[in-house]
Amino acid sequence: MSGFFGFDTSLPERGGQRGPGGGQQHFSGFQASNVDETFALGGAGEEEDLAVYTWGEGGMGGGGLLEGGDELNDETFGDDLGEINNNFQFSSQPATAPPTVKGKIASTQSRYKPKPVSDPFAFSEDDFYSSRPSKKTTTAKAPSRPKPSTGQSGSVENLWNKPAVSSPAWGTAPSAMTKLTPPPSASFPSQPPAPGHIKSLEEIEAEMAQMAIPSTSTAAPTQQKVFSLEEIEKQMMEQIEPPRQATPQQPAPPREATPTQVPGLAGSGYASQQALLDSMFPELGKGPSALGGLAPAFPPGPRQEGQSQPSQPPQPSPEELARMEELHKRITSKIQSMAKYNNLMGSSDKDFITRIQLSQLATADPYTSDFYAQVFSALKRSRMIAEGQGDGPTVVQVGAGMGLGVGGPVGNRFGKMGQNTMTKLSTQVKKLVENRAQHQKITNTAALQGALGRVTRGNAAAPRPVLAIPTSNKPENRPASQLNQQTGIHRAALTKKQVMFALEELYDAILELEQMRREAPPPTAMEEIEIWHAKCQAKVDIIWRRLMVMEPLDISIPHPFISLVNPIKGQKLFPRLLRHLPHTQSITLLSLLIATYTQLDVVFRAPPPPVADASLLTKADRLDRVKREAETDSFLQFVIPGVDMIINRCGLGLVAGMLAISAQRSEVWRVAATRPGVALYTALLSKAQSLIRSPTPDPMNPQQNQQVDPAELEQWSKTFTYFLHVLLPHLNDLFPSSVAQKAAFGPGAYLIGGDAVSDREGQEMERREAEVWGFVAVLAVNAAEEDQTNLVAALREKILHTVQSSRHPNVSPARAEMKLRNVNMFLNGLGLDASMIE
Amino acid sequence: MDDAANSGISEPLDLVKLSLGERVFIKLRGDRTVTGLLHAYDAHMNVVLSQVEETIHIVDVTEDGNPLPPRVEKRSLEMLFVRGDGVILISPTQQ
Repeated sequence: MSGFFGFDTSLPERGGQRGPGGGQQHFSGFQASNVDETFALGGAGEEEDLAVYTWGEGGMGGGGLLEGGDELNDETFGDDLGEINNNFQFSSQPATAPPTVKGKIASTQSRYKPKPVSDPFAFSEDDFYSSRPSKKTTTAKAPSRPKPSTGQSGSVENLWNKPAVSSPAWGTAPSAMTKLTPPPSASFPSQPPAPGHIKSLEEIEAEMAQMAIPSTSTAAPTQQKVFSLEEIEKQMMEQIEPPRQATPQQPAPPREATPTQVPGLAGSGYASQQALLDSMFPELGKGPSALGGLAPAFPPGPRQEGQSQPSQPPQPSPEELARMEELHKRITSKIQSMAKYNNLMGSSDKDFITRIQLSQLATADPYTSDFYAQVFSALKRSRMIAEGQGDGPTVVQVGAGMGLGVGGPVGNRFGKMGQNTMTKLSTQVKKLVENRAQHQKITNTAALQGALGRVTRGNAAAPRPVLAIPTSNKPENRPASQLNQQTGIHRAALTKKQVMFALEELYDAILELEQMRREAPPPTAMEEIEIWHAKCQAKVDIIWRRLMVMEPLDISIPHPFISLVNPIKGQKLFPRLLRHLPHTQSITLLSLLIATYTQLDVVFRAPPPPVADASLLTKADRLDRVKREAETDSFLQFVIPGVDMIINRCGLGLVAGMLAISAQRSEVWRVAATRPGVALYTALLSKAQSLIRSPTPDPMNPQQNQQVDPAELEQWSKTFTYFLHVLLPHLNDLFPSSVAQKAAFGPGAYLIGGDAVSDREGQEMERREAEVWGFVAVLAVNAAEEDQTNLVAALREKILHTVQSSRHPNVSPARAEMKLRNVNMFLNGLGLDASMIE
Repeated sequence: MDDAANSGISEPLDLVKLSLGERVFIKLRGDRTVTGLLHAYDAHMNVVLSQVEETIHIVDVTEDGNPLPPRVEKRSLEMLFVRGDGVILISPTQQ
């Protein structure tokens, strides 16, 4: 035990030698009973299978005490350890035994010798100060006072036996100390204990008494600056004295004192606290009223403010100044704190970051990946050029097939960065791309890297690619084209997902193709043009394959191509596709479309006739109707014009063939009962009629200059007659109004038959009727004479009803006029007029 | 075809791509849902929609803290930009 702190184990006897004294109790800690207790505790370790220590052997009878943790002393006790050498001065200890120690203690000491820094004997921070060889000031001494006690209490005995010994001893001692009047601190510097000097009991007592003082005033131990007694007195006076004493001159000293002091210490007085408060919360210092309840607690501060304020009203108030100053201070300190990061990044670092940011923008296809911005800028640019302003690049080309879309005409996509920045950008990205190209070459050789399962994070030779540009050089594997080779195979129709996916692919291809067309090389460069043409053609072929038009007609229902045209998305694609397809392919496409017309959603699931009362429908039903109508509208808007265009390029023979296909493969009257069907047939018939009637040369299609081939003409008339005869019995059902009337039931029938429907709906109905009237008009024009009579006979009732209802007083004039015009469209074709009907 | 369709789908947003130009249903934070025609999206799920119908589910609370039955408020918008951080899910509308 005793060896632990380098003490003689025989301390109890020594304590007896010392004789009685005020401090005696504390130092008689090593009573035999204590030692026994300690041992009992240590011995308990035997039963508990702990390491057993014999008395005097290691000096570590405490059992569990950490002995070897001296490395941590630095952390525990602070950095001052460096000043401690091995020459331990137990100066304050009433050691009769000199530091020169007995044999067994020497062994432990030698143990610690190699570590001169750490002081294993120090139990508390105060120990350190006391064990310092040089003590010059009283301030350093003040904390040292605990030494005599801590030297002991730090020993293992006291740790174990705290309640037994130390507490009664200390419980009485400090109370006694406080009764002592604080001796003037000035008296202490006169007697600095020389190293190795052994203090007398009186000295120790005095020290302990001194120690008691700080505990009452709480500030001294940790404070750097120690107030003299006078200073403390003055501060106390300030606290007590009435505020009038706080004249403008007066606050200066405490105010000055505050910055150097640790905040919140009582030693600096309330004034400094107030100043601190003021600095922290400038608003608070606006006056006593602002402080409210705090004011009495801190009398000097607010009063000063309150007094000084009225004295200098015109000048900016001191608080304001203080605040400004405070603000300024804060700003400068902030700047300073940030300034340590100045120039942390070299230009290469900045470069690197810029490149990372730019790599987000770089793309293999600046046009399509930035399509709308490009189109927008193209529009804007054309306007600017019209206004006489210059134009700039819309794409910063970097390397082959790499670029940055910059959109705006003068590169102001990046805000106010000018042309200069743009060039900088482009070089940056160029560098990036080149880097990557180089690395990629190397990476290829390291293709097997990680094959054995090691996750490679890249190395110097093959760094992880920073910029991953998606490259799609996968060979296109289309089951569709494979299936072409096998015939007679039926498949399930494409799922919606497949359709959507195929459409997206098509859109991608179309966008690429359109971009390619836009990038036509100058007409002088023959070779480039050839290459360009080949490229475009390849792309068109890809698109053609993706369209799956060449799939066998019956491969699935609906045909894959029809599946593609069914969604609105696909319909919108149609005109854009046609623009690129050569004539033969578009004819093929049209034949397929006509042959599979019934499979179209807009035909197969044509919108049902309107009902008089929409409230009869369920919500899902209503939505479905809306959707179907939307699809039909979009089909008429996007697909039919394309169909018209192709038909217009056809000769009579082709038109006849198309009609024949349709008549063969579908129930004509069903198709004709739909708006797309009406539109298709109208287009076909009117084209045929224009070909037959006016074989005059068409400037657009010079190849059709020649007279209509009589064989073709004959084929046409045959086909048409067949077509008409299939259609005739159903003619009335083609009219939406008739269909609606048929479908209606209950009171709704009257509503629809009667013209009670709202005028807007009525006009819409007439517009749809007009489509059919137009169709029957074309039928009439194409028909032979006897067929014309049949036609009129079939439509006789419809004509009469329409004309009569147009004269009905309930019908709005606008609608009546539409009705008449519709009927006249048909009658005029036959050389008749509605006015002839009575 | 199934393989071909799947081979082109390498990331989740590729599925969203399939809904371009279609009506989609989007669930948003703050008890909102939106349906509309999907025009554009990006990696942040920022989305541009047209013909939008926004539905807001509101639970009012009485003064003494009792919730009233939830009510639904709807509004229609011609064109809408939805910031991606509010998007919980995007799905094609069921029809």
